[in-house]
Amino acid sequence: MLKVSAIAKAYGAVRAVDGVSFHVSEGEIYGLLGPNGAGKTTTISMVCGLLRPDTGEIFVNGKPFSASPDEAKRLMGVTPQDLALYEELTGRENLEFWGRIAGLQPAGARTRAGELLEALSLTDRAKDPVKTYSGGMKRRINLGCALVHRPKLVLLDEPTVGIDPQARASILEFIVGLRATGTAILYTTHYLEEAEALCQRIGIIDHGKLLAEGTLSQLQERLGKGHVFTVEADFGASSPAQWEGFAERFLVLQKSEKQLVVAAVGKRDPSDCLKELLALPVRLENVSLKRPSLNDVFLHLTGRQLRE
Amino acid sequence: MLRALIAKDLRRACRNPLPWLLNLALPLIITAVIGIVFGRQGDSESGLGRIRFAVVDDDKSVLADFLRGAANQGKAGQYLEPVFLERAAADQQLKADKLSAILVIPAGFASNYLTGEKVQLELIKNPAEQIHPAVLEELLEVVAGALNAISRNFNSEFPAWRKVIEGNGDYHEAARLIEQTGNRLQAARQYLFPPLVSYTDQPGDAKPSAASEPKSAGSNRGSEKNPAPKFNLFAYMLVGMAGMFLLMLSSQALMDLHRELAMRTFERYHTLHNKLLPFVAGKALFTVVIVSIGATILLGGGQWLFRFRWPRPLELGVLTLAYGCFATGLMAVTVAIMPDERRASALNNVLSMIVSMAGGCMFPPEQLPSAMREHLSPLLPTYWFATTARELWWSEASWQIPAAKLAALAMLCVALAAFLFKRRFEKGTR
Repeated sequence: MLKVSAIAKAYGAVRAVDGVSFHVSEGEIYGLLGPNGAGKTTTISMVCGLLRPDTGEIFVNGKPFSASPDEAKRLMGVTPQDLALYEELTGRENLEFWGRIAGLQPAGARTRAGELLEALSLTDRAKDPVKTYSGGMKRRINLGCALVHRPKLVLLDEPTVGIDPQARASILEFIVGLRATGTAILYTTHYLEEAEALCQRIGIIDHGKLLAEGTLSQLQERLGKGHVFTVEADFGASSPAQWEGFAERFLVLQKSEKQLVVAAVGKRDPSDCLKELLALPVRLENVSLKRPSLNDVFLHLTGRQLRE
Repeated sequence: MLRALIAKDLRRACRNPLPWLLNLALPLIITAVIGIVFGRQGDSESGLGRIRFAVVDDDKSVLADFLRGAANQGKAGQYLEPVFLERAAADQQLKADKLSAILVIPAGFASNYLTGEKVQLELIKNPAEQIHPAVLEELLEVVAGALNAISRNFNSEFPAWRKVIEGNGDYHEAARLIEQTGNRLQAARQYLFPPLVSYTDQPGDAKPSAASEPKSAGSNRGSEKNPAPKFNLFAYMLVGMAGMFLLMLSSQALMDLHRELAMRTFERYHTLHNKLLPFVAGKALFTVVIVSIGATILLGGGQWLFRFRWPRPLELGVLTLAYGCFATGLMAVTVAIMPDERRASALNNVLSMIVSMAGGCMFPPEQLPSAMREHLSPLLPTYWFATTARELWWSEASWQIPAAKLAALAMLCVALAAFLFKRRFEKGTR
């Protein structure tokens, strides 16, 4: 449904997006994961036609976006990161208005608004002005406005920013339901848990570049198929480079004075790895192991935590 | 889609009416302030009403009686309403805002004048009023000029006149003076009637100017069957005020485009398959609705408040609508150029005042510097509107061409604004 091919966008000397490529299929949620300022919103803005890429091409439903932008836009629904709602209007009026603008007839827009209010659990507040809504409710209406015209491709730019966990869970549940209808979804977020729970494939983006892409397990495999070990000790002046054979057996993800995060290289038994770590020439305080998370992958790729 | 866009804006305006009510109340307030300054003088055709002033006669002489009498006789009686009071009573009425001014004829005025000494007439103006005291001051200058002229020409006869006025001369002496003065006036007649310089009203030819309008008020500019209305100061001023105010009102309404940019709704619209022009045009149409309401309040309310009738209301309405469209288009362009609401608002206010001033809305175009009057003003749409609307008062002006020009310019401006917004989006400027 969507194919992005080596798009780039620069603002003066700053390369906001630098050669990003990915694709999103029907019925798939593709997550673009990265910290704030990584280039996620700029990428979405180019995909939906708000910005023109300096280089590269975007294909929607097999056709170049630049060749027929209006046709491509008809297939899309965009939920911007910031709330794009008329606060003086009611939730229903907002939905109906965006439906009319998207080309629905008044009766069709009314019916569809009713369906969405039901699906978003907002029927009882449908007649209240949006300004009286809670943050989560506004987010749900913001999402609904992008779906009034039943788009085949939905672009969601951090749709759960700034809301409580319960409201977030409700939105994520709705998005999962949307995917079940065959809609292709491009989902940007900086929440690891969301990307892990929601997306079939994830692209990790930082400083405008797509660093890695794949399913969660594919990304985890980049750290070896095993586990990630966190070693707590007083390392002092001691360094992993000084330990014989350590670099061949472990991949250092992060090191501080008191903590060392490593992944086992190759397919090895966790207990063997544990023994090797316990035998390190330092005074150990604690060793724990876990499955590698996306944060560990990000850590591995960028050398810093996603939330830094 | 345009209907949906306008309905949305009207609904939003209804849900949050205070800013709009304040904007629409502005012309009413301005009109009311003018009404307070000038007074609601609806009965007079002049639009200014009769000027009520006090004459305090401390001289009690025949000459002072002559001045008193002249103030309320003949033509002067139509415009002036002198009351004869003692100084204390006059002061009291002036403070109570019942008088526009007090004219004091000082003691010894006549005898000093007839002996050729310097004399003074004192005019105390009501500081709470602007126009009436100024008119009285002008009239008093005319009287002073006449007295000076008499003094220069009849100086040799003043001693004899003084005797007569003071009751010391006999009837033969008085008769001789009258005959002698009559003969001199007869000799000067050819210079006075007609005067050396004169003008003749040519109905339908010359364009009325602000300066000539009051003079021509008594003349018959229209046909015999349908005489044209006389000059009305309020109608003249209201047109100018409308010229400036409608620009400002449209600026306020179009600032909503910046609000939509800030709310990201403009951006969301741009993610849909529609062109930007309908969005900008929708906002422009909404603005035209607001501007039309404002114009109705200003021109219609002014008509009611000052009790006059626009002679060609339909033509004035169409012309005003076309001007409202132009104001909307112009402000849409500046809103599209400026990056944020604050800066756009500042630019629009300055621009509104400059084009209003240069277009003859705030001052009569005849009062503008000649370079501006001849080369700049005629190019300005504010001039097209103000001049044509004022000319409509005399039922002679052709309004169709200015209205068409204004409407065409409006469409061009709206299209330009849409283009500027498109370019702005492409550049990624929020």
